[in-house]
Amino acid sequence: MSHFTMETVGWEPRIPPVDAETATPQQLAALEACPPAQRRSTYFLTLANDPGSLGERGALFNAVMYAPRGLPRAERELATAAVSIVNGCIYCTSVHARRFADLTKEPEVMQRLLDEGFGTELSPRRRAIVEFSAKLTATPGELSGPDLKPLREAGLTDLEVLDLIHSIAMFANANRLMQSLGKSVPPPPE
Amino acid sequence: MADTEDLAERLLGIAPDSPLAALRAERASIRQHSEGAYRELVLPAEPGGVSLAERAALALRVALIERHEDLAAHFRALLEQHGDAALLAAAQRFPAPAGADRTALLLRYADMVAVQPECCGQEDIDTLAAQGLSPQDIVAVTQLIAFVPYQTRLLAGLRALQEEASA
Repeated sequence: MSHFTMETVGWEPRIPPVDAETATPQQLAALEACPPAQRRSTYFLTLANDPGSLGERGALFNAVMYAPRGLPRAERELATAAVSIVNGCIYCTSVHARRFADLTKEPEVMQRLLDEGFGTELSPRRRAIVEFSAKLTATPGELSGPDLKPLREAGLTDLEVLDLIHSIAMFANANRLMQSLGKSVPPPPE
Repeated sequence: MADTEDLAERLLGIAPDSPLAALRAERASIRQHSEGAYRELVLPAEPGGVSLAERAALALRVALIERHEDLAAHFRALLEQHGDAALLAAAQRFPAPAGADRTALLLRYADMVAVQPECCGQEDIDTLAAQGLSPQDIVAVTQLIAFVPYQTRLLAGLRALQEEASA
């Protein structure tokens, strides 16, 4: 039985998050660079302890996940969920698996991926995205030009491939931050 | 270094007039903030409680863990500029130095966050705090250690695009 879930998973920080009421102007400015829906999350308020890095990294994260055109948002969520599974981040997996399900209205596809792993049945395009995500995450030093071939055969354009690379790279970062600065709190068993 | 310099372009030799440079220009904000986050973490104007030497040492260590020789060489040069021979040796020693001194604790924390962040616990964070690292310092150090794996995969992906174009 897989320990990954699409249900809401909590996250508890290991250092005190910034209090939005008493935050410094620099901390508030850094939070403004983050995705609007998540600016007051415990996670971003924890990162706001170091406003310099949050400002840049928040703006980077926002552009990677939400920049218009290019790789459809659902496929960025698919890639980041796949990366989070490889890295064992239960919290990140739950968030991005849910966003994929919300965007595609295909929760059963994501549920199968969570339950059965990457060997589960997927469309050729999704399979190419998931396998490339797993490879770049686990063995970046072994990646080479021919690894892009399955993505091209599945129809990904130059911009879509670049967006995919950015999404995968971003979660090498996000998964490590999430797992070290705090802990996932899984939903209680039914 | 000029403000317009871009670490990925320099390490990969991406020519300004190349198709890859044009493609990256379509995501100018990502290019800008990849460079901005790197500078803010490794070369901040106000390093706070974590020195430029310590930052370069942590970045070098993670680049070595990620087996990215060019990135490691870049951070090694920064550490030679900002740090001393003892720190340069410690940052490149595997396994990490034992002991409870600040450098050893920081290097072991880098190994954990880079390789097995799922093993991190409250006591690891508390140990850093007991060394005098503030919440800001702990976030800065963790952001830095977690950013080098981003750089490694960005560079690997861009390199694959270069190889594909020249095939």
